[in-house]
Amino acid sequence: MADGGDKVAGALARLAGVRKRFGETQALDGLDLEVRPGELLAVLGPNGAGKTTAIALLLGLQRADAGEALLFGRSPHDLAARRGVGVMMQEVVLPDALRVHDLISMTRAYYPGPLSLAEAITLAGVGKIADRPYIKLSGGQKRQAQFALAICGRPRLLFLDEPTTGLDVSARETMWATLRKLVAAGTSIVLTTHYIEEAEALADRVVVLARGRRIAEGTVAEMRAVVARKRVDCSTVLDLATLEAWPDVTAAARQDGLTSITTAEAEAVVRRLLAADPALSNLEVRRAGLSEAFAELTQEAAP
Amino acid sequence: MTVLADHQVPRMTFGRLVRAYLSDAKYESLRLLRTPAFSIPILAMPILFYTFFGVLLAGSRAAGPMANLMFVGWTVYGVMGPGLFGFGILVAVERNQGLLTFKRALPMPAGSYLSAKLMMAYIFAIVVMAMLVTAGVTLGHVTLSARQLLTIAAVMSTGVIPACAVGLFIGTWAPASSAAAFANIVYLGMAFLSGLFFPLPPAMQAFRPIWPTYHLMQLAMASAGLPSQGSAWGHAAVLVAVSAGLTALAARKLSRTG
Repeated sequence: MADGGDKVAGALARLAGVRKRFGETQALDGLDLEVRPGELLAVLGPNGAGKTTAIALLLGLQRADAGEALLFGRSPHDLAARRGVGVMMQEVVLPDALRVHDLISMTRAYYPGPLSLAEAITLAGVGKIADRPYIKLSGGQKRQAQFALAICGRPRLLFLDEPTTGLDVSARETMWATLRKLVAAGTSIVLTTHYIEEAEALADRVVVLARGRRIAEGTVAEMRAVVARKRVDCSTVLDLATLEAWPDVTAAARQDGLTSITTAEAEAVVRRLLAADPALSNLEVRRAGLSEAFAELTQEAAP
Repeated sequence: MTVLADHQVPRMTFGRLVRAYLSDAKYESLRLLRTPAFSIPILAMPILFYTFFGVLLAGSRAAGPMANLMFVGWTVYGVMGPGLFGFGILVAVERNQGLLTFKRALPMPAGSYLSAKLMMAYIFAIVVMAMLVTAGVTLGHVTLSARQLLTIAAVMSTGVIPACAVGLFIGTWAPASSAAAFANIVYLGMAFLSGLFFPLPPAMQAFRPIWPTYHLMQLAMASAGLPSQGSAWGHAAVLVAVSAGLTALAARKLSRTG
């Protein structure tokens, strides 16, 4: 099969052109998403961007109105596909009269080759709460217990929907350390988060969603560069080829006599522009479009 | 798509699959045992009621056939409880709460959710019967042989299935907020109207065959060689039909709404 086929086969999980509507809300609007073997993919986006819906589709909890969801090349409704998956959802109700170790044992039993109870408790760092009934746990401890349930089946692919919400700093550090360990051991992880810092700390690749669409995708370094990018507009006699040859210029374009330059180093470019063309006019420096999206994200995430 | 072989997840062996079902049953029973709102009414009420009405109030006047009749009646009441409430209330509440959502995201084997509740109902029903038999034989002037008691217990344990079916029907069709009320009304209503607790006035006796509890009681009496009404096969057929019919209606509702 050609490239396209390899791409399909290479992804552990995949959404292709998926649309999903809840009443008046178009939760997903033609979303493409791919999870590759061994990566930690961070899915960033504000509330309502469609992150949770995307995961629900990959877990077979929702059916797409259009498009396709595949898990290990199968339908997510296929039990065999879900046997390779661990999951930590945002809103979850557990049989709360059970103790944490009971919940882990109950969940382990669903998997073909799970961790031992002791391994799961150690890896998730829930030793102190293992003997306590779930109903007696604090919000953060409940998240830690849910994390233990997510990893106890030794899944190849782990879905974590805002896993660190409500955790204190040390619990968050423990979870991050465990996630790094799991990735090093070959587990693929999909992590949704509000926090760009969390993606920066952990992710190999970042996908940004907004209003049910993918608005950006790349490595953390690429995303950081995109965030830093600015747009410089001006009327100048300098030609495009010259501008594009400048070291800090990412791209240059001209429309209706107005030149637009994209750069991560706006100050250096402006200084050079003014020096090279004393007659330059209509100068304007703006954030690039995508960074506006990021700014929206970070505002959303700000406490 | 040949590369997909790489994606295949380890297969569940048959042994692990059986363990998954048993483990779900174990934790379902454990969590309900630790939930007093469930375990106290289910485990304690039948033995308390039987001791009060069947032993203390009836006294030695009821020795013999009357004592046996009351014992069988209260046992029907006792074995119906776990299935009726285990399904009736919990399915409604769990559908509403989202416990099922998490389990559906996990690779929980199909049918394990219901089979765990069924096994839980059996375990609780056996405990209830053990208490009633002990009380009946030691205090209740029950004059049944060990063989008759075992026969009754065996027949009664099949009564768990129609109880679960009635419960499942309530749990799938009633709203979560009122499922408990429905389950209680059905439970007590069935018990009274089928004459489990005391003989009904003649006018009401004709309507007893409406209730599965009546058929379970008659079937148990007939199997143990005690005086009974109707044919044993007829009672068994009604119980099977009630179980199958209500389960089918529940399944239809579940498949539509999830």
